[in-house]
Amino acid sequence: MSKQGLIGIIVVSILILLIIGASPFFVVDIIETAIVVQLGKPVRTITEPGLKFKIPFIQEVIRFDKRLLDYDSEPQDVVTGDKKTLVIDNFAKWRIVEPLTFYEAFRTERTARARLDDIIYSELRVDLGQHDLSEIISQNRSEIMAKVTKRANEKALEYGIEILDVRIKRADLPEQNEKAVFRRMQAERGREARRYRSEGAEEAQKIRSQAEKEKEILLAEAYKTQQELMGEGDAKAFRIYAEAYGQDAEFFEFVRSMEAYKKVLGKNTRVVLTPDSEFFKFIQQDK
Amino acid sequence: MSWEPRGPGGNMEDPFAKILQEFQKILKKRPGGPVFKGWKPILVLVIIGLFIWKGFYIVAPDEQGVVLRFGEMVRTSAPGPHLKIPMIEEVFLPKITKLHRIEIGFRTSRGGIAQMIPQEALMVTGDENIVAMELIVQFRIKDAREFLFNVADIGPTIKKSTEASIRQVIGQKRIDEALTVGKAQIQQETQIVLQQILDEYEAGVQITAVQLQDVDPPEAVASAFKDVASAKEDKEKLINEAHGYRNDLIPKAKGEAAQMVNEAQAYAEARVRRAEGEANRFLRTLKEYQQAKGIIRKRIYIETMEAIMGDIEKVIIDSRIAGQVLPFLPLGRDGLTPARGKENR
Repeated sequence: MSKQGLIGIIVVSILILLIIGASPFFVVDIIETAIVVQLGKPVRTITEPGLKFKIPFIQEVIRFDKRLLDYDSEPQDVVTGDKKTLVIDNFAKWRIVEPLTFYEAFRTERTARARLDDIIYSELRVDLGQHDLSEIISQNRSEIMAKVTKRANEKALEYGIEILDVRIKRADLPEQNEKAVFRRMQAERGREARRYRSEGAEEAQKIRSQAEKEKEILLAEAYKTQQELMGEGDAKAFRIYAEAYGQDAEFFEFVRSMEAYKKVLGKNTRVVLTPDSEFFKFIQQDK
Repeated sequence: MSWEPRGPGGNMEDPFAKILQEFQKILKKRPGGPVFKGWKPILVLVIIGLFIWKGFYIVAPDEQGVVLRFGEMVRTSAPGPHLKIPMIEEVFLPKITKLHRIEIGFRTSRGGIAQMIPQEALMVTGDENIVAMELIVQFRIKDAREFLFNVADIGPTIKKSTEASIRQVIGQKRIDEALTVGKAQIQQETQIVLQQILDEYEAGVQITAVQLQDVDPPEAVASAFKDVASAKEDKEKLINEAHGYRNDLIPKAKGEAAQMVNEAQAYAEARVRRAEGEANRFLRTLKEYQQAKGIIRKRIYIETMEAIMGDIEKVIIDSRIAGQVLPFLPLGRDGLTPARGKENR
């Protein structure tokens, strides 16, 4: 047979196979790994994508997702080292690294997820149970997650799985605790508000009484000065009077009395006098 | 670049050029002769037509074309028109310049209103308080191949990783930091943690920003928190009022004080002046008096008497009977008081 004839036969055979659906070709996608199973027994593992060949009818291809897969379970209660409860919602990233081992252990992804649940959750519970609530929430969070990842990964290896990352998506307080926390937060804020207000009142009071004190001092000083000045004025006036009137005290008395009489004895005064009264003393004398 | 084609074929050229090459070869096989005679060239043309129709695709300016052949990545395509081998080659067109965005803790409804989602938004702080965070994560595809093929469910993965990151960061902050001064810090730290996680997953994603939209205390305690702000204001107000009172009181007091002093000064001065005036008057009179005592004295006396006597009512009684008669004299008058200064002998 000629070379062309041989090629022709092969092409025709392949076309027939394709038509009846027993293709010898298969494509492994970039996101897949595959194993070729012959009569129930795995014979070949394929990790690189591309166009591949198999023996039709006898061999079948089982595919697995090569990508980083997601594991996310329902939130669950976990008890911490200091006997408090947290509601943990975690997720994990995992890959199938040994398709063959994986296949032999699980057959399907769904079975695998159940096993993952066990591995991850049990590890999480153990590790979280060794730490206090505050450590889990703040200081040691990433350390704890790294430890859980490492331990879970060790367990998963025997199934051909790599667990790359276990992470706590949410760590929340159970509802009653949440309510208790809210009450505490409210109380704390209430105290704070009261504190501000009473500080304000206290400060205001200080300022006011300080101001009043200053006012009193100001007025007292002014009063003192006032009295001093008035006293000085009075004293000076007295000195002036004394100096002047002192020059002839008797004359002063006379003149002053005259003025007094002028003032005191006016229109509506009725005077009863005797001839020898003081008033007439001068009359008689100056007759 | 990680998306250079690799595999058994080595460097593959663009099939467009390959087709032209083939076409030229066919033409060359028939030098001189008419090109379109016979069934072979027509068949070739038909095949070429189908090729172009099924294999034509356009890469938009914000996209990158990623071509798989038999499941294997063989090349990337820049923006513009391209051909692929139909059925055998598959094209993905991720938007690599677009800033993608994910909402955490809230959803913006079609009306544009943001609705908080409590389970996503509420988280525990370092000082065991609870706070509600609403944030946006912005990211870009930095490696198309990694983005498309490394991680299953990349969108939800980014979201979960963000939730884990922000909670990790908030778990180390006090609630007051989160509510007030710590926001920029929180954004930065979350971005760093998130990028680390996604790089570990080889997700091909670059986080461009983490933006806090809203940080609030949980609704149940919101009014208590608001009251603290009110209380601060109240405190300020009380203190300001007190200052106001003071600023009113002291100047007034100073004014009063000054007035007291001024009045005293005025009094003193007036007193002295009057004294001086009276003293001078006296001294002048005295001077006169000293010139001629008797005459002056008389003069003054007479003047005084003139002034007085005219007005007053006088009753003169002999001193011997005054004591017996005086009680019976009608001295009081209607509405008028009895004379002052009367002398009873």
